[in-house]
Amino acid sequence: MRDLQSLVKGKIPGPETGIEIKKSVCTICDPLTQCGLDLYVKDGKIIKVEGSKENPYNEGTLCAKGAATRQYVYHKDRIKEPLKRVGARGSGNFAPISWDEALETIVSQLFQAKTDFNPESVAFYVGYPKVMRPFLHRLSQLFGSPNYMTESSTCYQAMAMAQKLNFGIPGAPDVKNAKCLLVWSANPFYTSTGLAQKILKAKERGLKIIVVDPRYSPMAAQADIHLQLKPGTDGALALAMANVIMAENLYDQDFIRNYTHGFSEYQEYVQKFSPEKGEELCGVPVDTIKEAARLYATIRPGAIMPSASPVVHHTNGVQNYRAIFSLMALTGNYDIFGGNLAEPVSYLYVPAGFASRFEEFTNPKKLSEMAPRVGGNKFPVWSRLVDEGQSIYLPFHIQSEKPYPIKALVAFGLNYRMWPDPDFMADSLKKLDFIAISDLFMTESCKFADIVLPACTSVERKELRCYREKYIIYTQPAINPLYQSRSDIDIIYDLAERLNIDDPLFSAGYEASLDWILEPSGITIADLKKHPGGMPVPNPMKHSPMNYRKKGFMTPSGKMEFKSSIMEEFSDSFGYEGLPAYHPPKYSRESSPHIAADYPMILNTGSRLPMFIHSQTFRLPWTQSLRPEPSADLNPEDADLLGISQGDQIRLSTPKGSIVVKANRTEIVQSGVVHMFHAYSQADVNTLIEADYFDPVSGFPGFKSLLCRVEKLEDRKQRKYIKNEI
Amino acid sequence: MAYALYLDINRCSGCQACVVACMDQNDLMIENNTDGSWRQVFAIEGGGFPENEISYLSFACLHCQDAPCIPACLTGAISRENGFVVLNSALCVGCHVCLTVCPFGIPRFDKNTKMQKCTMCKERIEEGLEPACVRVCSTKALKLKIIDELDIEKDESDQKSWSPLVHYLSVENDV
Repeated sequence: MRDLQSLVKGKIPGPETGIEIKKSVCTICDPLTQCGLDLYVKDGKIIKVEGSKENPYNEGTLCAKGAATRQYVYHKDRIKEPLKRVGARGSGNFAPISWDEALETIVSQLFQAKTDFNPESVAFYVGYPKVMRPFLHRLSQLFGSPNYMTESSTCYQAMAMAQKLNFGIPGAPDVKNAKCLLVWSANPFYTSTGLAQKILKAKERGLKIIVVDPRYSPMAAQADIHLQLKPGTDGALALAMANVIMAENLYDQDFIRNYTHGFSEYQEYVQKFSPEKGEELCGVPVDTIKEAARLYATIRPGAIMPSASPVVHHTNGVQNYRAIFSLMALTGNYDIFGGNLAEPVSYLYVPAGFASRFEEFTNPKKLSEMAPRVGGNKFPVWSRLVDEGQSIYLPFHIQSEKPYPIKALVAFGLNYRMWPDPDFMADSLKKLDFIAISDLFMTESCKFADIVLPACTSVERKELRCYREKYIIYTQPAINPLYQSRSDIDIIYDLAERLNIDDPLFSAGYEASLDWILEPSGITIADLKKHPGGMPVPNPMKHSPMNYRKKGFMTPSGKMEFKSSIMEEFSDSFGYEGLPAYHPPKYSRESSPHIAADYPMILNTGSRLPMFIHSQTFRLPWTQSLRPEPSADLNPEDADLLGISQGDQIRLSTPKGSIVVKANRTEIVQSGVVHMFHAYSQADVNTLIEADYFDPVSGFPGFKSLLCRVEKLEDRKQRKYIKNEI
Repeated sequence: MAYALYLDINRCSGCQACVVACMDQNDLMIENNTDGSWRQVFAIEGGGFPENEISYLSFACLHCQDAPCIPACLTGAISRENGFVVLNSALCVGCHVCLTVCPFGIPRFDKNTKMQKCTMCKERIEEGLEPACVRVCSTKALKLKIIDELDIEKDESDQKSWSPLVHYLSVENDV
């Protein structure tokens, strides 16, 4: 006999308790990480969340962020109704208005900017999540503005640029079939736990793991070899590994002879990076460099698992990654099973084994026939390879009004603290004539807006997602949108109609657009609705590897380019180098010894903590309780030298500014380096970084290596035991 | 059938999803609620560069076989049920004696000073579901096992030590 009280206490679903399980996906992280959710719903309210067991990515599990979904959905800071600004910009004074008034205001402001200036004076932006990107991308182009921008201006795109420069099409690691995995500064244990599960399984079947990471991360702890390099020296390490592979004749001569361009110059350049030189530059012992190079070159197939941002958050980021990806060419591990597969994207960044019209949908116009994009003249290689504006350059563009002014901004999930020197970004936003922001919560950035729109979370909307595991889902709302909130996608379709965008797909609606995108795959929204928890992609396409043998590479030379033709094209005008040349970080002991004299430590910012992704789960009491205050990670050895105990107040300074935080002593960080998580309003480490501290090729900020000083301010007040933070 | 919770320290990554899943399952930090999470994850560090070692330990009530809180409780509010150390909230008077005898500092207290702690999701186990912390664990470090299936030698020599129902597989044990 089931006791009702105990069923209720245990939140057991069933008719007795009235608890029903509804399916959805979590999009707190995005993309490639859309964990399936089982939402326990009672009387229209979520009372508990679990991972969906049938979802092949997360297999029933979640991370700390997804597990906190309930507090994310029901947070008191949720924006409840559309708002218009009534006080000064930034004052946070708003008055509620109707959806109709809010959208009509946006539309009239956009028409005005288009009439008084030109369509490119309107910028469109998407931060997190990424579900609305294809729709806003299309809207932006059909409105006539090339200035569709995203937070991918600091994430993913520069990594993809490096791969595109080398190979034309990026190759993703085939973990399932790899025998050796070279993980370059990624920590899926905190960023994509579904992938971490798969790596652990592969390790059980004998996968060899090499991890390159300045931090002793949980991923590094699983490694056969961990190369704990100094931040920002990735390129030098990759070149030193190449040096070993060549010296010991471990390279793929057939691949190099037949399919590469610029090998002899590359070979000559690599001579400068002996393993001894590698040790000197990177701080990794000669023998470890040799051992790692041999392992990756001889245990085949071997895959390189890049990360979306750490390596490219350096002032030489793209070039460093090009040096890393050159190892893939050197060993012939590109586009083979168990290596890095160049599979085509099915939908929203993810190769999932089906064909679609995703690319056609997102780029209805030719960018080459439109006005130059934000950052386009500053970052010509970005413009060549990426179909978005470079949003890091947005504040400079707003301030200079060159080559044309930006007047209005429509943003979905914007956090101005993403930009280095966020005050410069905030001042620039204030210069705009009009800002509309859609968001879940009343954020600091929303306070700059003239119109604020209440968006809903993933569990309140319909959303198409697909997975590397050849799986696809179209979700239905698990609960009705709270308050007056709406799906970002609905807002975009509504705007398109009100802007009189002449487009059969926008007119046909969201689901009809998805059907059009999916048509080549044979999958329909009607089919997907029959499978609320998702379904395997029917008859998935089989990828045929080594496509380059037939079609060549999608590079100017048609070959894999050790020496990039595109980079060389801008050698005179921009000083770019064709070879994957190594330069130490702009602010480092090597490049700026005059600064290092007063700022002797390396500042490394923004590495993931397990409970936060950027600022998104800061406000949730559950996740916040795991790391309650902004704290900087210091190696105990450095902390001892500075007389710093766990929990002491310390000041981090650069020539640009300083912040006061708590000290957290941990072996995760190597000696000589301080790590600080980003986006805290009370101690924003980005205020210590200059707005133009970026990689001249990609525009990506050098978040992961600059110089700083650490001083102890005062002993912690409480004398009780303080737990080390994770 | 007796169960034990099992943690493989080699697999625990310190992600703390178990901590949050426990809060979600038990409505912690929501209303009239506890002064802390029932489950915590500790980082155990040592070695020093380049020999650094970090282990993570997901930790809540160990449901000790020789639980000192049971005899210490003045009102009989703590007892053993199906192998688990459980609390009858109606009997708890909030005297904190359990906290003084617990070698691991486990008991938490709500605003009415009634004791709270890990229940091992007894109600879920009875329905054939895993505890919330086990379900959420992406590295499969936390597992629920039937005691007889646990391949752990009984230490007959040391009867007096705490012999918890929560077992930890340490780095040394796993070869």
